[in-house]
Amino acid sequence: MYRYRDSSGLKVGHVFSAFLVLALFGAHDTATAQTTAPDPLSGKLVVTGSSTVAPLIAEIGKRFERLNPKVRVDVQTGGSSRGVTDVRQGLADIGMISRAMKDDEKDLHAFTVARDGVGIIVHKDNPIRTLSDEQVIAIYTGKITNWKEVGGKEAAITVVSKAEGRSTLEVFLHYFKLKNTDIKPHVVIGDNEQGVKTVAGNRNAIGYVSIGTAEYDESQGVPITLLSTGGVPASTESVRNGTFPISRPLHIVTRTAPAGLAKAFIEYAQSKAAHDLITQQYFVPLAN
Amino acid sequence: MAETLNPRQDLREWLAFVLVWGAAAVVTAVFCWLLGDIVWNGLSRLSWTFLTAPPESAGRRGGIGPILVSTFLILGVCLSVSLPIGVGTAVLLAEFTSDQSLFGRMTRRSLDVLAGVPSIVFGLFGNAFFCKTLGLGFSILSGGLTLACMVLPILIRSTEEGFRAVPANYRLSAAALGLSRSTTLIHLLLPAAVPGLLVGLVLGIGRAIAETAALIFTSGYVDRMPESLLDSGRALSIHIFDLSMNVSGGDANAYASALVLVIMLLLINGTAAWLADRGLHRRIVTV
Repeated sequence: MYRYRDSSGLKVGHVFSAFLVLALFGAHDTATAQTTAPDPLSGKLVVTGSSTVAPLIAEIGKRFERLNPKVRVDVQTGGSSRGVTDVRQGLADIGMISRAMKDDEKDLHAFTVARDGVGIIVHKDNPIRTLSDEQVIAIYTGKITNWKEVGGKEAAITVVSKAEGRSTLEVFLHYFKLKNTDIKPHVVIGDNEQGVKTVAGNRNAIGYVSIGTAEYDESQGVPITLLSTGGVPASTESVRNGTFPISRPLHIVTRTAPAGLAKAFIEYAQSKAAHDLITQQYFVPLAN
Repeated sequence: MAETLNPRQDLREWLAFVLVWGAAAVVTAVFCWLLGDIVWNGLSRLSWTFLTAPPESAGRRGGIGPILVSTFLILGVCLSVSLPIGVGTAVLLAEFTSDQSLFGRMTRRSLDVLAGVPSIVFGLFGNAFFCKTLGLGFSILSGGLTLACMVLPILIRSTEEGFRAVPANYRLSAAALGLSRSTTLIHLLLPAAVPGLLVGLVLGIGRAIAETAALIFTSGYVDRMPESLLDSGRALSIHIFDLSMNVSGGDANAYASALVLVIMLLLINGTAAWLADRGLHRRIVTV
């Protein structure tokens, strides 16, 4: 299942992968970036996808490069959807996806690297410390527009939501059983830090971001508060022990069963050796 | 005559004075605040080590060495492609095409449209054309070429204005002296058009160096020291964006990187102005 790029951009591959490509995408396909080599641990791995996972995989990649000096791990970002597309088109060897795999993504081989919780945040000066699921749904669908209606002070709610294609949005929608078109946001944001900054700068805002990011920023004195969900406090600890309801797995995926360099890298990323890097990026390592 | 103004005129004068000075003060204050904020938050982190060391822990610690190198390489590719094409097209438009001709009008119109196209569109084009069709992949070359496409319209239009600003007397005198068109162009018109070229260059570099959207899809996100132009390399602006918007705890280094970016821009502009000034005097005098 190795393949390599030749000058014309065509690819020569294993019969099985060629069959798979034909069956799924027709004969048209672009070159893949993985190079074959007699020594499995040399060459270049191209990894693209979720901007949430990118810094983590880049760090794991750097350590992997130090252990295997002939290896280069190139990490690119752009969102989970791009990870899926690039891996399917063969533009990337490995994709990064910060959500559970969808039914129509069964063609990909997925490997969980870590977990991340999505927590709801408000400004620190907001007296609200918990909201029921129904209240969150009502706020995000525009049925509740004032904090007074959920026991807060008299002030209009600023609803901060994520842009289409962001996994945090999909995790949020999935848990609250909403469609993106149901949401009536006032501010649409991209990355997690942007969400934290938007809520920190607006006393009446409500948003949802990665718990690891929010927990770190809170500890650094950024004026935000994580609300508990379903009676469970939002923290990396409750994500780790599986009690926090809104959480997501962070995946890396390949189109065919990984072999050689990709296999070695995926195994390394899932091993205990990468746990300190996962914690450093405010994610939660899997217990193994 | 001030005594003859009636109170209403006096008030109007005073109001105009306040508005004009107020507007100027607001603009200056915003600029000073912005610069002050960056210097205040970034200066403490700035050091030789920061400029040369590789980033660590997704950029929270460590420096920006490889990122600076990538940024210069991207800019180098961009300028070495866009300058010759830009000046050539400007010469064609200003000196060899009449104002009214269909070709001239169409070219100018399309350049003006291109100059207003959002950078993300250039990014997607660069990704589709340079990275995929030409097979350059995520590389400094792809990024530089994409930026060249983006900078060209601005460069061409302002260089063209530079040529048009040269008095017609220059051309007539040169013709009267029996100088060929190419001699006139190289020794007389080009040096005289340098101010226009410079404006285009400074605007172009400013747009290129601040670019994130077009580069994230072309030169990419890799923060390793580039080994060739075909390696992916993270530009400084993408690094700042990632640190401030995607990496929690990256703010301090984002400020320091932003300070480096501002200093770099000032240095490049200063050098360009100095070179142009020097070139202008020497060339016109020796003819």
